[in-house]
Amino acid sequence: MKAKKRLLLLLSVMLTMSLLLAACAGGNSGNGGNASNAPASTDGNKEATDPPAEPAEKIELDFWTFWGSETRRPIIEKMIADFNNSQDRIVVKHTFLPWGDVWTKNLAAIAAGNPPDVIINDINTVAQRASSKQVVNLAEFLAKDSIQSRFFPELWNTVEFEGEAYALPFNTDTRFLYYNKDAFAEVGLNPESPPKTWEELEAYAVKLDKKNGSRYERVGFYPNNWGNWGWDSWMYNADNGTGFVDKEGNVTINTPNKVEALNWINKWTARLGESTVNAFKAEFGSQQADPFISGKVAMINQTATFYTQLRDYGQDVNFGIAPIPEFKEGSGHYSSGGGFVIEIPYGAKNPEASWEFMKFMTDVQAQEYWAIKNFDNVANIEASEKAATNAELDEKGKMVYSEAVKNLKDTKIFPIPEFAPDFRSLLNPQADAALLGQKTPSEALEQAQKEVEALVKANKK
Amino acid sequence: MNNAPADSRLKKPAKRRRLTVERREALQGYVFVSPWLIGFICITLGPMLFSLYASFTNYNITSRMDFIGFDNFVRMFTADSLFWKSLGNTLYYVVFMVPLTTVGAVLLAVMLNQGIPGMRLFRTIFYLPAVLSGVGVYILWMQLLSPSTGLINTLLDFFGITGPAWLFDPDWTKPSLILMKLWSVGGGMLLYLASLQGVPKQMYEAAEIDGAGLFRRFRTITLPMITPIIFFDIVTSTIGGFQVFQEAYVMSESGEGGPMNSMVFFNLHMWNKAFKVFDMGYATGMAWVLFMIVMVLTVINLVLAKKWVYYEGSDR
Repeated sequence: MKAKKRLLLLLSVMLTMSLLLAACAGGNSGNGGNASNAPASTDGNKEATDPPAEPAEKIELDFWTFWGSETRRPIIEKMIADFNNSQDRIVVKHTFLPWGDVWTKNLAAIAAGNPPDVIINDINTVAQRASSKQVVNLAEFLAKDSIQSRFFPELWNTVEFEGEAYALPFNTDTRFLYYNKDAFAEVGLNPESPPKTWEELEAYAVKLDKKNGSRYERVGFYPNNWGNWGWDSWMYNADNGTGFVDKEGNVTINTPNKVEALNWINKWTARLGESTVNAFKAEFGSQQADPFISGKVAMINQTATFYTQLRDYGQDVNFGIAPIPEFKEGSGHYSSGGGFVIEIPYGAKNPEASWEFMKFMTDVQAQEYWAIKNFDNVANIEASEKAATNAELDEKGKMVYSEAVKNLKDTKIFPIPEFAPDFRSLLNPQADAALLGQKTPSEALEQAQKEVEALVKANKK
Repeated sequence: MNNAPADSRLKKPAKRRRLTVERREALQGYVFVSPWLIGFICITLGPMLFSLYASFTNYNITSRMDFIGFDNFVRMFTADSLFWKSLGNTLYYVVFMVPLTTVGAVLLAVMLNQGIPGMRLFRTIFYLPAVLSGVGVYILWMQLLSPSTGLINTLLDFFGITGPAWLFDPDWTKPSLILMKLWSVGGGMLLYLASLQGVPKQMYEAAEIDGAGLFRRFRTITLPMITPIIFFDIVTSTIGGFQVFQEAYVMSESGEGGPMNSMVFFNLHMWNKAFKVFDMGYATGMAWVLFMIVMVLTVINLVLAKKWVYYEGSDR
């Protein structure tokens, strides 16, 4: 009896110890993995230079996206299936991770030395990832397959860090002015001549306002964050398409034109009244409740993709589109854009196979498919042009899409430099203060300019 | 102490055969607590020590981890205006939230303890918000607090008061969050209710015979008797208050901390540093600063507690 008891005790002690060891070992390798990750992944990178081993069995790639919605998932999965069928060496598997998680999970996976093989990531932060070794340098692949000419130059610009590419542009967007032609006709404006300058925009908007007593029933236009356009975009538009911090570290926040842009927005708020602006904004929704579709707003800045909302929920809205009005005549109809890139996380096991897949995904066939199915701007020039005349789009769709492609030449993307990753947390509160009337725009931007310059100086070696 | 090893060496042959009862019991004790021990060492203590080390490095998760001494802390205290802003926001939140929720919970509990009919129903109603939590509640409150169509401003309008823009007005964002917190005092209330019901009836009877009024009875009997719970509540809600994060992350536009950074709390700033700009070394440094602040405050609380917390059966 006693012996049995002792044996039991011994066993349980051993079991506990082994558990302890296992648990700690697991924990340690997690931690150690973080610290010692760099050398391990360099090995992974070296593989790329060696010729790939004879494909005795298929290479399996894990591709992470955040496209899991009913509309997007089938589209991306069809593209993957097309790739899998196009050759017999590589099989790509799609992993959907929700928008809020995907990049944090990617980071954790890179740190643990077990990242996905290909991922869709943000176009504005390639430099940050490149500078902190989260993504594979594509220079050697591009040396063999020079494919950069297939992309719009403005987009290619975003993927380069210190002269070398770290990702391939995948999709992008652009914004323009949607206006309600019936509303134009109703107030005696020519429906075929949309406003071209800020001044015209304001004059037209005043005419388009519809009031019942002191209450607004329709607002012609409001510049800040109605639709898909805010104070920052107006500042770019006013300032010849110049952003806030460039790749060299020049800070251009406190410029006369940018101050003027904020002053201009404040003028709108003063005229309409803050309560009107808030009350309208509070009722904005999507689909039928979209302010432009429901007719509460006569003009709005939106992305090209907004057309699908009009197509599906606003069939009876008689709309026109026009480039974003320019600051002064001849200053340029600058628009702002964003988008996503496709890239290989650092430490991926088969960068060469990943590259093959990325090449396919940015080639004409896949990109055109993505473009017409999502009504989204794509990075491939030829695919963009083909999509604009694709028979699958209706007449209006073709019109909007070809305008969107044209608009790309005025569309600027403002990648965030790696030495000022969080400069927005200094600029935004100052802009808030100016727009809420707690500071004058020039005071606010002067302060922001100073703070961001200090940030750049502290981080840029 | 010195004799112990010598002793055991002498008794070695005897020990081989059998562990003494105490040793065996001690060993069994360790075996039984081992799941917790393993968890603590691997999941809490290990990462904590790692983060302590990381706070002295420029760790960015993927490419570097060089020892840089106190650089992170120097930067925090001298060069990061958002650090002070976030600390200020957090202190504002704690300073108002803790007393208000404590007083609110005590008052609610005392009222529910009056033996009124339907007390069970009210108890459930008041406790309900404490059960609900997380993002759902925040989204509900964002609707309630909507400047023009929200229920709260509609109600204020009814009384002729023009309500503030709440989450859109930098002066009102933190009061909004505190108001929301007050709504869920039910958890604390339940603790007070339990302890109120443990106050001996004869004390009230004796006081009543001596002619003590309602308020006097509350001040000299009820309040002292529930001080241990008040103390517990204050300590835990202070710690919780310093950790405020989710509210700001969910209720501000794209998680950036609201108009003019008025909702950038310490933990939100830390999270942004860690996961938005990958400045993990700096973020771990911030975590340790917060840890020190909370620890000092808790120690002060514990010291002060001797002056006002009454434990039945103790000599004070």
